[in-house]
Amino acid sequence: MNQHTVKAYGDELNQLTAEVARMGGLAEAQVADAVESVARRDIALARAVVERDSKLDAMHRDIEKKAIRLIALRQPVASDLRKTLSAMKLATDLERTGDLAKNIAKRALSLAETEPMQPLTRSIERMGKLVSMRLRDVLDAYTASEIDRAMAVWASDDEVDEHYNALFRELLTYMMGDPRTISACTHLLFMAKNLERIGDHATNIAEVIHYEITGDEMTGERPRWQPSPGDWDADFSGPTPPAN
Amino acid sequence: MPYSDSPSPVAPLPSSRLWTASTTGGVAVVIMLLLAAARPDMAMWLLAGAALVGVVTWLGSRPTAGSTAQEPGVMTVVPTADGEDARLLEAVFEALDDPIMIVSGGEADDIAGRRIVLANSAARDLLRIPREGGLLVSAMRDPGVLEAVDEALFGGVSRTTDYTAAGSRERHWKAWVRPLAGNRGGRPTAILGLRDETDVRRMELMRVDFLANASHELRTPLASLSGFIETLKGHARDDMVARDRFLDIMATQANRMSRLVADLLSLSRIELNEHIPPSGRVDVARAASDVVDAVSVLSQEKGVTVLLDTPPGEARITGDRDEIVQVIQNLTDNAIKYSPVGGMVELTIRGDLDADAAGAARLPGATRLSLLTPDRDPGARYVAVAVRDHGPGMQREHLPRLTERFYRVEGQKSGDRPGTGLGLAIVKHIVNRHRGGLVVESIPGEGTVLVAYFPQPAALSVVGHATLNAA
Repeated sequence: MNQHTVKAYGDELNQLTAEVARMGGLAEAQVADAVESVARRDIALARAVVERDSKLDAMHRDIEKKAIRLIALRQPVASDLRKTLSAMKLATDLERTGDLAKNIAKRALSLAETEPMQPLTRSIERMGKLVSMRLRDVLDAYTASEIDRAMAVWASDDEVDEHYNALFRELLTYMMGDPRTISACTHLLFMAKNLERIGDHATNIAEVIHYEITGDEMTGERPRWQPSPGDWDADFSGPTPPAN
Repeated sequence: MPYSDSPSPVAPLPSSRLWTASTTGGVAVVIMLLLAAARPDMAMWLLAGAALVGVVTWLGSRPTAGSTAQEPGVMTVVPTADGEDARLLEAVFEALDDPIMIVSGGEADDIAGRRIVLANSAARDLLRIPREGGLLVSAMRDPGVLEAVDEALFGGVSRTTDYTAAGSRERHWKAWVRPLAGNRGGRPTAILGLRDETDVRRMELMRVDFLANASHELRTPLASLSGFIETLKGHARDDMVARDRFLDIMATQANRMSRLVADLLSLSRIELNEHIPPSGRVDVARAASDVVDAVSVLSQEKGVTVLLDTPPGEARITGDRDEIVQVIQNLTDNAIKYSPVGGMVELTIRGDLDADAAGAARLPGATRLSLLTPDRDPGARYVAVAVRDHGPGMQREHLPRLTERFYRVEGQKSGDRPGTGLGLAIVKHIVNRHRGGLVVESIPGEGTVLVAYFPQPAALSVVGHATLNAA
């Protein structure tokens, strides 16, 4: 880290990264708690997640304000500018992550009113753990400025997608077998989708970290499995159908 | 430098300081004596002042109680600690098994002001913080812990909170925070400690899971047993042929039940130890040849040839021998089970691979998925065990769920000795405990490759870790 002639400038930059790290911690906890509230059918926890989301929104606004103030007053250049911009971008991604976690918790509230669906909530829990891990890894990479770790998260997003596809099929089989489960399964399906999107935000964050450290945009396609036409059964179209 | 304002946690000896109270006093005395020589008219007052300063300095520099207590940056727990005691305390602090940190705070609304000023080696290893400390929020992001620290720093309240570190080896901690009496340069300080409660939580979870799994899976064979018993007591009582056949089926079901219980127990045991790294040394090549001997009965029964391909020399890893044997055994068993009669199973062992090479594709054109990826360690080298069969293979959608307990690929028969559905779950947990990885590749109709890789105890990875800590 470079030393700044004006000490307050350096302090403000440090504070910005610290705030983003704190916000990341909260977002991480929101995701973990939301998934746990689904797995344990814990209504109180789900309500707490929904309530805490406003805190995340406040942090987002605060970070944005501080970043704008820093740009206006200090005119940062080079790595300082990148640091400021990536703080703003990360805050946006984390805020979206929090919104998705809140949505999962809301659905957990309505799921708790129906019969328990053990094997399915377990699959959600497994996927949630995986996504939490990605989020943790990428935030660790941010606080430690480790580009390798961030890239590892970026490259391994297809694991989350795989889980999502497997869960999609599982849910579909359930719904076809017993139409009474459709409403609960739809909630679970949206939860899975939300988790998948949280995974996407984690890869976004990895891209921002790459930009912050190197100054280069991420180029190249993520390693991703492309379904060949025969892979999907004719009677149900897959969750991520081939581009049409 | 980001951490330049933090003092070293190593308490320097008071005698090693160039600039102490006694030197200050000495310089003052010398200056006053010189002035007295230059201005004889004020010599009286200056000499008296010099004598006064000299006496005060001498009194202050005697090794009395509290003489080291005011040193900034030196953690003093006992006011009477002289240099030796301070070093002893330092050593005790370092040797503590639980991660302990001393945290100081600036302004209440300045999150960047909360810093770890002192951390023992357990805390440094766990949170990967440099020796001289750093930002608290970089090391610990959990909102519950941060809140507890704030309350201790600015409210003077002790708090205990739960903290779960997500990861492939999830760990549960109890975090406790107590405010410390001594200010550090006008900043409030608190002590933050973590206590590992993973075992307790796991025990709880294990009991619940075991009950749920065991009761569910034992129900089917049990129902069939009682059905046959009823038939034997009823109309099949005098039918010799039917009785023999039923007794055979009952024996098979009873066998299956006992295998299931054994597998469940071993899975639970492995899960319990999952976060404790193994310490022994295992030669994977020898373990594999032992497994090939052990499965020879099964493979001959089915007419399956098992080919073992080992590298020259040893392929040593850090691990638990029994568990490594179980991994290779389960993988080989599976491969034999799904092989057609007269088929071939290839067991290939390769050492000294990096993480990318160990997890690299082995079957061209196959769908491929990493079931378990180890935490990234740039210097680590791996020994990979690849087991390939020429069986029916699997569709892609089955791959992510392979290591789930009791998951079975639909429409596949594993022969007359059905598995318990726990084999790959056990493999995954063992590999995870060894900080290794697991990859599956499959082509429907052509076969499957399962690759388990384990880190080697190389000096390289140790060096990598050390530089990381120093950075």
